[in-house]
Amino acid sequence: MLSISGPSLFIKQAMDYLRSIRKRELHIKVLLMICASVTFVGLLLIFIFVFRESLPAFTRLGLPNLFSTHWNPDVSHPEAGNYGMLPFVVGTLYTTLGGLLVGAPLGIGSAIFIDQIAPPKIGTAIGRGIELIASIPSVVIGWFGLTLLVPMIGRLTDTSGFGILAASLVLGVMVLPTIAALSLESLRALPSELKEAAYGMGATRWQTIYKVLLPAARRGVLVAVILGMGRAIGEAMAVQMVIGNSRQLTFSLTNGTSTLAARIVTDMGESSGVFRSALFAQGLILLILAMLLILTIRLVSREKKETVR
Amino acid sequence: MKSNLEVENLIVEKDKEVGKEMAKLGNKIEIRDLSMYYDSFKVLENITMSIPCRSIVALIGPSGCGKSSLLRCINRMNDLIPNSKVEGEILLDGENIYNPSCEVIELRRRVGMVFQKPNPFPKSVYDNVSFGPQVMGIDNKKEMDEIVEASLKKAALWDEVKDKLRTSALSLSGGQQQRLCIARALAVQPEVILFDEPCSALDPVATQKIEDLLIELKENYTIVIVTHNMQQAARISDITAFLLMEVQGEPGRLIEYSDTNKIFTNPSDYRTERYITGRFG
Amino acid sequence: MKATRVDRIATFFFWILGMISVGILFIIVGEIFARGLFIALKPSFFLGKPEAMKEGGGILPMIVSSIYLAVLTLLISLPLSLGAAIYLAEYSRGGKITRFIRFCADSLSSLPSIVFGLFGLAIFVVRLGWGYCLISGAFTLALLNLPTLMRSAEESLKSVPKTYREASLSLGASRWTTVRQVVVPSSLPGIITGTVLSIGRIMGESAALIFTTGTFIRKIPLNPFQTAAPLAVNIWYTQSEALVPDYRNIVNGGAAFLLLMVLVVNLVARYIGKFYRRRKGLS
Repeated sequence: MLSISGPSLFIKQAMDYLRSIRKRELHIKVLLMICASVTFVGLLLIFIFVFRESLPAFTRLGLPNLFSTHWNPDVSHPEAGNYGMLPFVVGTLYTTLGGLLVGAPLGIGSAIFIDQIAPPKIGTAIGRGIELIASIPSVVIGWFGLTLLVPMIGRLTDTSGFGILAASLVLGVMVLPTIAALSLESLRALPSELKEAAYGMGATRWQTIYKVLLPAARRGVLVAVILGMGRAIGEAMAVQMVIGNSRQLTFSLTNGTSTLAARIVTDMGESSGVFRSALFAQGLILLILAMLLILTIRLVSREKKETVR
Repeated sequence: MKSNLEVENLIVEKDKEVGKEMAKLGNKIEIRDLSMYYDSFKVLENITMSIPCRSIVALIGPSGCGKSSLLRCINRMNDLIPNSKVEGEILLDGENIYNPSCEVIELRRRVGMVFQKPNPFPKSVYDNVSFGPQVMGIDNKKEMDEIVEASLKKAALWDEVKDKLRTSALSLSGGQQQRLCIARALAVQPEVILFDEPCSALDPVATQKIEDLLIELKENYTIVIVTHNMQQAARISDITAFLLMEVQGEPGRLIEYSDTNKIFTNPSDYRTERYITGRFG
Repeated sequence: MKATRVDRIATFFFWILGMISVGILFIIVGEIFARGLFIALKPSFFLGKPEAMKEGGGILPMIVSSIYLAVLTLLISLPLSLGAAIYLAEYSRGGKITRFIRFCADSLSSLPSIVFGLFGLAIFVVRLGWGYCLISGAFTLALLNLPTLMRSAEESLKSVPKTYREASLSLGASRWTTVRQVVVPSSLPGIITGTVLSIGRIMGESAALIFTTGTFIRKIPLNPFQTAAPLAVNIWYTQSEALVPDYRNIVNGGAAFLLLMVLVVNLVARYIGKFYRRRKGLS
């Protein structure tokens, strides 16, 4: 046996170590806290800058102008123009609803299919496939919509093909993976006893899904749909490519119109002054909508915890 | 260089003396009136015991009686659990480890720990043993080799692994992994080693090896071991502590603390006897 | 029986839904590749210089922009997100601060990327005066990617067994030493997978970049303060401005190339995850 035994050799070494780390540990903790606080600082800065940039629109144009139905920015006399964003608010809500009507049944249905019906291997493969949809860049989906969906809709309805229908289909594809993944997660989180109990009582698979599993997972599914909604509201590029970008307030599925996000993309390039500020005001609306959605999700999931107790 | 060596030698000499004195004096650890809480739930109440130098103390009792919590108080591993709180004191060589001035890191170096399940790092055998010394800043290759070899020898593992020091520790058998964990603990030259049911995941042969090792280690280290296995406590320990949570929801208390022989042949408390006979006969 | 018949119809219906969902993937990928893969894989295209007004342009500067941007973005967001994740997983004890930070991260991740674009325009391009350039885009995207990167890093850190931490701490290692030498190395595969996935997201991102990096260039950007045009942004620009006569070809090829890059990145990420799982399973 070697000579080192007992608490000897290490005393000096350990003391050195102690001395060296004492300050370091504190510094590192502070550094890590700074890293963590970047999320807060970033969020705050986003609010401040988007709000500050949109302020001139509110003070110089006024709310009646901003929420009118006419969007006629006058580049030569910015303050004389009309900056009504109502058509785009309507367009945003309309396309979001349309996107959810397409994406939610597909997403939730696929999640149920993967969790309950598909043979495991097929289920995994389909789950992977849907995950991959999420990774397709939105300009690629937009280009797909522009080259395939828009002409198709145009032929079928004898219009240009641009408009809310095309945008809804494109958005449906984009919200599908979000809704599917989160629904699947909440279905998988259900205790297996629940399912066994239902089957044990002689329920069919459909009855189990419809009467037991969906009600049990409804909050998770609701959160999934809300998050999908968030994606649909904020999507800019793909929508901008297929919606036609006209300025009219419309309720027709095949008339060209625009959404808040798409209008920002379309007009930001040639904007300045109060025109630009009006576009930032649209961004602010999007920001507020997104925050409202996240607060709704908080509310929904908090209720969940309470009912569990 | 030279002066450094001299200093070290001095420390060694002094340490030996201190060690001898301590051995004569007796108590390495004194636990005084210790109570412990998780949140508002009291886990341990008024534990008082003295743990002599270079001996093996076994903590026994039914599961949930707080023996593992008590063990983890001794090197303050409980600090890791949010909202845990300790009242009373634990003296290590006469100094309260719950004093604000106590350095937890140094405490944990002096009071090592071996866990229930072998938990080697997913690194090589060598890197596992050298982890502690390397953290302390030993970067001399030769010195490190010596420490690794000595530690593995002390853990009775050297002969089995000397040719595969660079292979993954996870490729060793369970018993070897546990001895590797012991070697890893020994490498930072602790004074006390805490064992938290070290054999519960091992087969009888591996268990036997660990027990032999513990008895050998007693020559140089103070050992506290939590065990479910009463034969084990009887075989290896000098002193046995019996803890019990009498009613569900009440804290665990120290029922009896005396020589292992006495506990297992002639316990003075009827509850100890009931537990021992129920499990031992 | 009525119930069993309903059940059979429902089952059939769910099969259809599942098939449609995955069918969408194949239709999109098939359509885009059928239109553009042939163009995309021509060296004169993906190694060629773009043309501003006439036919026959390539997309090399755009590809370089995308990659350059991904590297810069990760250089900024990876240390920050890793630090934040370490703080949340290893240091904070689930108190109010943690919950607040998590709320901020959740909010940040639910903001539309166009809002990040507006923010980037206002702060980096205008206020800090960096103009349309790679670094403006990188900072914007770093913030956009922070929550996802942070979440994936945090999850990989949390999947490291508690026993590793205990073992290290019981040897007298400090918390940071434990994190650096034990926890982070053990969670590296997960962190790498998350990082690679975020490269895919960065390459596909466009809304946050049209007002921050620039949309069209002819020369390969070298300096991060130079104007750039990531491929995704340039695809949008080319199709909306339609300045070159063969813009359809360029967009078809560009879209196919972009999709190819993103799919490859995703497959690599998945392969890393799989490789790691297999290795873990063996040991």
